[in-house]
Amino acid sequence: MEPPLTLGSFPRAILHIDGDAFFASCEQSRRPKLQGRPVVTGKERGIAASMSYEAKARGVTRGMRLAEIRKRCPEAVILPSDYETYSLLSKRFFAIVRRYTPEVEAYAIDECFGDLTGLRRPLRMSYLQIAERIKRDLDTALGFTFSVGLAPNKVIAKIASTWEKPSGLTAIPGRELHRFLAQWPVEKVWGIGHQTTALLHKHGVKTALHFARQPEAWVKKHFSKPFYQIWQELNGIYVFELVTGEQETYHTIQKVKTFTPPSGNREFVSAQLAKNIENACMKLRKYQLATERVLIFLRSQDFHDKGLEMDLSGPTSFPNDILRVTSPAFDDLFAPATLYRATGVILCKLSEASYGQLDLFGEVIRLQRLSNLYESVDTLRAKYGKHTVFLGASFLAHTHAQHDSERGHLPERQQVLLPGETPRRRLGIPMFMGDVH
Amino acid sequence: MDSHYLKQIQAFYRSHKRMPSYSELMAVVGFRSKNAAYKLVERFMQRDWLEKDVKGKLLPGRLFQDLPVLGTVSAGFPSPADEELTDTMSLDDYLIGNKEATYILKVNGNSMIDAGILSGDMLLVERGADPRDGDIVIAQVDREWTMKYFRRRGVSVFLEAANKDYQPIHPQEELKIAAVVRAVIRKY
Repeated sequence: MEPPLTLGSFPRAILHIDGDAFFASCEQSRRPKLQGRPVVTGKERGIAASMSYEAKARGVTRGMRLAEIRKRCPEAVILPSDYETYSLLSKRFFAIVRRYTPEVEAYAIDECFGDLTGLRRPLRMSYLQIAERIKRDLDTALGFTFSVGLAPNKVIAKIASTWEKPSGLTAIPGRELHRFLAQWPVEKVWGIGHQTTALLHKHGVKTALHFARQPEAWVKKHFSKPFYQIWQELNGIYVFELVTGEQETYHTIQKVKTFTPPSGNREFVSAQLAKNIENACMKLRKYQLATERVLIFLRSQDFHDKGLEMDLSGPTSFPNDILRVTSPAFDDLFAPATLYRATGVILCKLSEASYGQLDLFGEVIRLQRLSNLYESVDTLRAKYGKHTVFLGASFLAHTHAQHDSERGHLPERQQVLLPGETPRRRLGIPMFMGDVH
Repeated sequence: MDSHYLKQIQAFYRSHKRMPSYSELMAVVGFRSKNAAYKLVERFMQRDWLEKDVKGKLLPGRLFQDLPVLGTVSAGFPSPADEELTDTMSLDDYLIGNKEATYILKVNGNSMIDAGILSGDMLLVERGADPRDGDIVIAQVDREWTMKYFRRRGVSVFLEAANKDYQPIHPQEELKIAAVVRAVIRKY
């Protein structure tokens, strides 16, 4: 008999909930025709973003190219992603978990953590019963299944929710922890990547239990702090706090857009980049941030990236300022005989936007003017749609569809409009699709 | 959000002449857990909006005794403030019960024409709700949505159209009811 790692069952009760094949399930649950059939989303990206369990069973994996999917699974239904609907359903997912506990971390669009500690008495249920109720509410309200893990901390809750999938509900109390970890490969522990796995394997550590049983001094000597913390959690200690509340700020902002067919037209590619810069700046202003360092890159047809990084003379949140610096850089990057498939921009060194500081060169006045201008631009966009007004530099990217091929297909919800809806604005309620007789 | 909760608590206080208990508070602000209600109280106590007596019962705090500020008015009657509107609800609240389970769909076909539901109408439906005899439901038949009356006769159930040209559907196996219709919307 192996001794347990820890004696308490749930000193803390942390849930991890994961939507099963989330995007594909969103599609299947609103369209009965798709149920029981292999469904893949991500048509607009040219690769599988999410696949139903029927598609997984036929060997379709995440990131697989569409041509490959059609070869392996000719009957697959490949759909363009409808992020609007997925986001609406994701919000519902979190709202349902919040019915039971106010402490919810929206970790990704399709997964969240919840802290149930202390709720047994007010809810008059055991932790497992609360988890069951949450799962039942989610399954019925959203029309597809979720996998739930209950454990003393986040790292173990992640293991618990993956233990049985789809539609699993697994509780790992501290006392039983060692039995589960003995069967869990160390590379499947949340936060342990390739490098760490290789290092652990060199030391002969193969399972999560083996890692958890290593002496503290050994772990501290060989690994950095995050891995020491994972080691602590694997021993049943609660270390990683839940990050509740909405994301309020960013360290970097990135906008990358692919277009088809690939283009060698300098004006067109440059307009694509300008559009990305405009969109990135829109997000900057939304969070009242300014950037001081910009990285641009071009991706060629054969997936080679070429980029340049440059500093700005001062923080800004306006595309005009950024384009002045990136235009000459673009000319350096752009090779005339090459076909490009994507452009991207990353804004770094973000700080809070404030244009109050006086200077010698009248910058303040200029920035104030730009700031007034963009306040109006943002108001117009909020009222009439995101691309009502745009810079001349991105004109060609706005007048051409992003994709000429099937990748340009719109999600069905954007084509089935209710009276009073426009292609840009729809009711914020998910829709059942298909004919209703 | 907090000010919204405060208004609901104030409305309770006005109509009941006392503060709610914790379980009443849950109902008033729409929480399903006492812990959430408890946290709300803690937050409001920090702002002096609420107080507790020695036994832990809630007492109205500072904001309950203040005179309501009805905006600055130069002459005549005060303008109608939110104060008067706490007992009204939005169209969303009126039409939608279980917000997280409500979906919209567009009708196509005339099987419910005698119930006044026309092709092109929009429906608000609630997923996973238990259908009662006489409810209009969205069922899943042969991988299609179908809208019919839900009929229960003893232990057996069947679906019936509101159109004499359609035959009732008696399910051979399990009947899959996806949702119950809660409202019909027709925008002209």
